Amino acid sequence: MLEVQALTIRAGADTLVKDLSLRLEEGSLTCLIGPSGCGKSSLVKWLAGVLAPDLHAEGAATIDGTPVTFPHRDIAYQPQQDTLFPWLTTAENACLGLEIGGMDRRAARDRVKALFPAFGLEGHEESFPDQLSGGMRQRAAFLRTIVQDARVLLLDEPFSALDAVTRLHMQDWLVERLAERPRAALMVTHDLFEATQMADRVLVMASGPGRLVADIPIPMPSAERSETALAEIRSKLKLMLLKETS
Amino acid sequence: MTSARYLFPALVLLTAFLATWEGYVALSDASPLVLPAPSDVLNGLWVERHAIARHTSATLGVAVVGFSLSVVFAFVVSVILHFSGWLRRGMMPLLVASQTVPIVALAPLMVLWFGFGLLPKVLLVILVTFFPMVVSLTTGYASLPRAFRDQLVSMGATRWMVFRRATLPSARAQFFSGLRISATYAIVATIFAEYAGARRGLGIYILAAKNNFRADLVLSAVLVSACLTLALLAAIYGIERMTSRRYRRETDA
Repeated sequence: MLEVQALTIRAGADTLVKDLSLRLEEGSLTCLIGPSGCGKSSLVKWLAGVLAPDLHAEGAATIDGTPVTFPHRDIAYQPQQDTLFPWLTTAENACLGLEIGGMDRRAARDRVKALFPAFGLEGHEESFPDQLSGGMRQRAAFLRTIVQDARVLLLDEPFSALDAVTRLHMQDWLVERLAERPRAALMVTHDLFEATQMADRVLVMASGPGRLVADIPIPMPSAERSETALAEIRSKLKLMLLKETS
Repeated sequence: MTSARYLFPALVLLTAFLATWEGYVALSDASPLVLPAPSDVLNGLWVERHAIARHTSATLGVAVVGFSLSVVFAFVVSVILHFSGWLRRGMMPLLVASQTVPIVALAPLMVLWFGFGLLPKVLLVILVTFFPMVVSLTTGYASLPRAFRDQLVSMGATRWMVFRRATLPSARAQFFSGLRISATYAIVATIFAEYAGARRGLGIYILAAKNNFRADLVLSAVLVSACLTLALLAAIYGIERMTSRRYRRETDA
């Protein structure tokens, strides 16, 4: 589906990401883990078309074999912060992507409102973001991303602002939401427990310069992912990350 | 209850100040030509109420017209500066430098160039109130978090869409704080302009009262001008609250 070929990102004379290629398949959740500063977020921002202006990228990308540039309407991006606009209600926030994509305001609202129950936000359509709990804000942000019906979802550390318990609930919840439609999702995370719990595949990045060093499939259904079943993959990933940061 | 709690200390201090002033004048035999008592000021205000009202309406008219035009002008300029980095880099230092000119000192020149009509006074009010608003608007635009902009751009938003949907709403608080700063200058600037030459207005009234050694009437007019500024600030506060969606919702509920 989405394919990136030989991506290099530079910040002046420094090379942040070097010669990185990857392929994302429809119907799969790929987690990207790696040490801080290895270029995970830069890769995702490049795909979203919002790479910082002081960074320079070279490389190509295709969707179903057709060359594309970013931002692209088949790609929805969710940054690290939830970026809900404080002056808009939850429903208006959720409509943003649809309205910018050219959908009529009323049609966007109908479509978004139909999804509120599934996202655990029923009754909060007219609430402002600061009236929601952390978990609800995050679900509202997911609603805004998912309702765009993009074929590729880019999620940059979506759970980083949540407490541990909410995070556990949200992980299972997100896997269910993503499974409702075949999409290719790429999620950046620092947390290898989270990655192994959720992903169909884990990509490991190393820094200096940023590159992919491992591509580990986890072909296990969610129900079978117990601590013991994942122990081996986790210790392998842990060793790999420790080696990359030592 | 809350507003009473905030206002009470100020009212106590004000009353104490006025009582001290009144007592000093009564005990010290100070000439009312030099220092009239607060009661003399209020009395003057009552006796001269018709004349003062006429001059006040002239001042208020100039201040409101000048201030309104200034808001529109500042908004248009801030949008142009926002979209043109070149103009912004060129204009901002000049705008800052322009503030080193004592603009009120230009009042006599304005009268010389444009006569005694409405134009020189309105221009002076615009000159004085324009800058704080442009600065607060451009600062407000720049305060948009980058993540908000990125979110919209990743959705395919154009520069104009980003401005309308994120930059402008996020500058709201800054805009109103600039508006309040400018409003405090608006009446003062109008009085200065009238001072330099006018047929009607509090400025010319103050000048005439001073020339007639009527310190009580000077202070009466000063009191009225202070009340005008307070009224303008209250109106802005009201507009800010009424245009806030959350406030409207709370009062509807």
